[in-house]
Amino acid sequence: MIVETGHFALVLALALALVQSLVPLVGARTNDARLMATGGPVAVAGFALTGIAFAALVMAYVQSDFSVANVWENSHSAKPMLYKVTGTWGNHEGSMLLWVLILTFFGALVAVFGGNLPATLRANVLSVQGWIGAAFLLFVLTTSNPFIRLEPAPFEGRDLNPILQDVGLAIHPPLLYLGYVGFSVCFSFAVAALIDGRIDAAWARWVRPWTLAAWMFLTGGIAMGSYWAYYELGWGGFWFWDPVENASFMPWLAGTALLHSAIVMEKRSALKIWTILLAILTFSLSLLGTFLVRSGVLTSVHAFATDPTRGVFILAILVLFIGGSLALFALRAGSLTAGGLFHPISREGALVLNNLFLTTAAATVLVGTLYPLLVEAVTGDKISVGAPFFNLTFGPLMLPLLLLIPFGPLLAWKRGDVYAVAQRLMAAFGGALLAVLATLLLADGASVFAALGVGIGVWMILGALTDLVQKSALGTVPLAVAARRLAGLPRSVHGTALAHLGMGVTVLGIVATLAFEAEHITIMKPGESTAIAGRTLRFEGVSPVQGPNFTETRASFVLLGAGGGKLGEVTSAKRVYTARQMPTTEAGILTLGFSQLYVSLGDPTQDGGIVVRIWWKPLVTLIWLGGLVMMVAAAVSLTDRRLRVGAPARRAKAASSPAGAKA
Amino acid sequence: MLFWIVAALLTLAASLAVMLPLSVKNRQADIARDHDIEVYRDQLGELDKDAARGLIGPAEAEEARAEIGRRILKLAGTKDGGGADRPARLPRVVGAAAVLAVPIVGWGLYAELGSPLLPGQPLNARLQADPAENTMEELVARAEAHLSSNPEDGRGWDVLAPIYLRTGRSEDSAAAYRNAIRLLGGSADRLAGLGEALSYGAGGVVTAEAQDAFKQALAAQPDHPKSRFYLASGLAQEGKLQEAAAAWQALLGGLPADSPWRGPVQEAITEANRRSAAVQKPAGPVPTQEEMDAAASMTADDRTAMIEQMVSGLDAKLRENPKDVEGWMRLVRSYVVLGKADQAREALGRGLAALDSGSEDGKRLTSLAASLGLASTE
Repeated sequence: MIVETGHFALVLALALALVQSLVPLVGARTNDARLMATGGPVAVAGFALTGIAFAALVMAYVQSDFSVANVWENSHSAKPMLYKVTGTWGNHEGSMLLWVLILTFFGALVAVFGGNLPATLRANVLSVQGWIGAAFLLFVLTTSNPFIRLEPAPFEGRDLNPILQDVGLAIHPPLLYLGYVGFSVCFSFAVAALIDGRIDAAWARWVRPWTLAAWMFLTGGIAMGSYWAYYELGWGGFWFWDPVENASFMPWLAGTALLHSAIVMEKRSALKIWTILLAILTFSLSLLGTFLVRSGVLTSVHAFATDPTRGVFILAILVLFIGGSLALFALRAGSLTAGGLFHPISREGALVLNNLFLTTAAATVLVGTLYPLLVEAVTGDKISVGAPFFNLTFGPLMLPLLLLIPFGPLLAWKRGDVYAVAQRLMAAFGGALLAVLATLLLADGASVFAALGVGIGVWMILGALTDLVQKSALGTVPLAVAARRLAGLPRSVHGTALAHLGMGVTVLGIVATLAFEAEHITIMKPGESTAIAGRTLRFEGVSPVQGPNFTETRASFVLLGAGGGKLGEVTSAKRVYTARQMPTTEAGILTLGFSQLYVSLGDPTQDGGIVVRIWWKPLVTLIWLGGLVMMVAAAVSLTDRRLRVGAPARRAKAASSPAGAKA
Repeated sequence: MLFWIVAALLTLAASLAVMLPLSVKNRQADIARDHDIEVYRDQLGELDKDAARGLIGPAEAEEARAEIGRRILKLAGTKDGGGADRPARLPRVVGAAAVLAVPIVGWGLYAELGSPLLPGQPLNARLQADPAENTMEELVARAEAHLSSNPEDGRGWDVLAPIYLRTGRSEDSAAAYRNAIRLLGGSADRLAGLGEALSYGAGGVVTAEAQDAFKQALAAQPDHPKSRFYLASGLAQEGKLQEAAAAWQALLGGLPADSPWRGPVQEAITEANRRSAAVQKPAGPVPTQEEMDAAASMTADDRTAMIEQMVSGLDAKLRENPKDVEGWMRLVRSYVVLGKADQAREALGRGLAALDSGSEDGKRLTSLAASLGLASTE
């Protein structure tokens, strides 16, 4: 009964999405307040129904109800409870249901928090949101229905793909989808503005928090996915330029650009048309990502769905939404009023530069991702565009952007003074220079490039801190005053500084890992030792371990420091999942400070030894910590009171906030 | 029934979400311009705060204030968007259609896609249901679930093994018998069951491994009818029809009058006699009694020559008429007995080619070869 209730709720959700995509829109066109008002309750009810459907599917997984085909295909009664639950979205149908759930969630959020939006804007936004919802609900129900039943029901499931049985996977897709789908709100706002033919002042204020929220989740999702690939796949790499990774990275680049152009739009009413285009492009790239991953056009480690009918359906959605919105843009952009003017050297100018670099970078990644598909489609040859292409194109594009980041927040609006800003950044520059010299002197065999890379990371971190120091006037006023000023700064200033600092931390981690990583592949027998990066790794021995649904051979190692002291123990394993007879590698990771030792097992040799791959990865955790800092930065910025828009009626007395901000 | 109530309630809730906003009277559309002014007022407030905090200089603040003021002035020049009332018919039609669409689309699509009559089947509930109502498959699953958490329960394996065999899962059956034998000891019934499961797994051929099991069963209980029956079948499969018939006859003599084995044994004897009669006429190479007697009185060399002549005769016959699985089995066995492993292997290859190694006959030949220690050369 639970399963069928879920199925029925999902069908009802589609009916409501259809209502939502038409009724408020008609209301907005005819200026009928009652029709427009249906958007809110319908969006909330749609979310509730999709939630019921999703909960029913999770329940079916938890109870191992193998009368549901989707559960039978992807679960197993012997699986640990956590992975039964996460298995719900570890497969195509379930993950698409999650996608739709998050989409309706954002629609409901707009409905709930959008009370102070102009009614026509709100109605149009909800209608556009309804179009997307209806398209994807139809997709789920007709091509990827997770509620298809089996009669008679089998007694045992076929297990979840073992590489997907992992905590990282429990968090990675929901975060990623919150990011992907969050941009749908920006898209809906953009299309709503185009339908109306005007951009309200509230528009810009509204787009920025949604962009921030989506960007925050997407950042977390990408960082999580990267760490998952790092420790689960056993190759020790953190980024592979895999098309699926690129699929999430492109919306991130475009979303970052959108985030920055929305600032200009909010503050200065400039770049309106460009911001609308970016909002459309960002969500289009999200849709493209969904298409690439879900249609099965790629064959990579992530490819776990292959069915041409699905691919064609998503492609149709893609063409409809991207083509439709761009056509609308071409039609209406001319009628939108352009905004304020600014001098090229100013905060606006810096943000435009940032946009140029980021969109070019996104385009580069797009070419690198789609070109192999295109070649395969036309000539049938399978080629791969790997790291060399991206290192040659993406790297040089990012370099100047990273160098310029510290300048941006320090420049004044409208008209800026580069020399004054450069002067204020002297301390940060000095610090970066010191870092370069220290790297060259202290690290053995450090190349000039590696040292410069470290310098860039330090430059970004110090530059971000300089912004805070300057704005709190630390050093020129007494410490207590400076501290009070620092606390009193708008949250968005803190957010900016933290985000740029996080970026610097990530750059530092990437450079350190790429430049100073040590790799060692050898054959070891129990009791033997090998040297890695000035430390000694001793192989203690192997032992068989029986897990709940797998058996593994676990090898234990002890890491000894240069002086012979024990630094820690690490175990690495080769696992076989019994139901699918599928082997996996469980890498052993030992974290020391920000650095990690990574041990991965290969095949055993004839004479009782085993192939062991060992990496020493200095400062590698900074890569993901930086991502975490960026997420925190976005959260801090989201709490800024200025991102909320007042409604006309409620505006009678709003004098209460300044006192609150001081506290 | 409960499902229909829940479905009706859900439909009602969904319809209400559409209907309620439509039923509110005199809802007035707000004017977008007011919202814009509100935003600009907020911006002015922020500007003041920034200026007070010293984040921007007084001159810049003044300039920004003027800019926001200009935006507000600009608004005053615009018209209120689309205040003109249109005929109220369209909204009413759209509203009514929307309210109707929810149940129609919902129930219509669900009727197409759903399986409303199929109850949910959580695994635990299914395993705990009254065993009397369980199907065989469910009982097996319950036993499996029990044994996977208590793998040392010999009695469980003992019960499950014959059920597996009956449902055609001979490999699982053999494994279950082995577990039962390991945990409870090798009784004649269990050993014979293992032999039976192994024979089923080999497509009915009593392989060397199965023969071992049956022999052990007989060691535990010399008059065990199942073991004796299968061992005799093994003889028959190797072409020793007369020996097999004799073994069956002996078995029949010892069986009580009401034994269920009497029927099968009698059938087997009849079949063996029919086949040996059929074999003796066309396929001369099976030695007659006279030939055997003659062979007994020969010198060793002569005897070998006679046997080799018979074998090559059989070989020649099979080249002309290759669809004779009994013949191939006899030929392969003869070569092995004569110590001509290469020729045996070559005959096996030819036999498999002629019979098609995937067929039932091919499998019989393969398992015979395996029991003789001949690896297939494929």
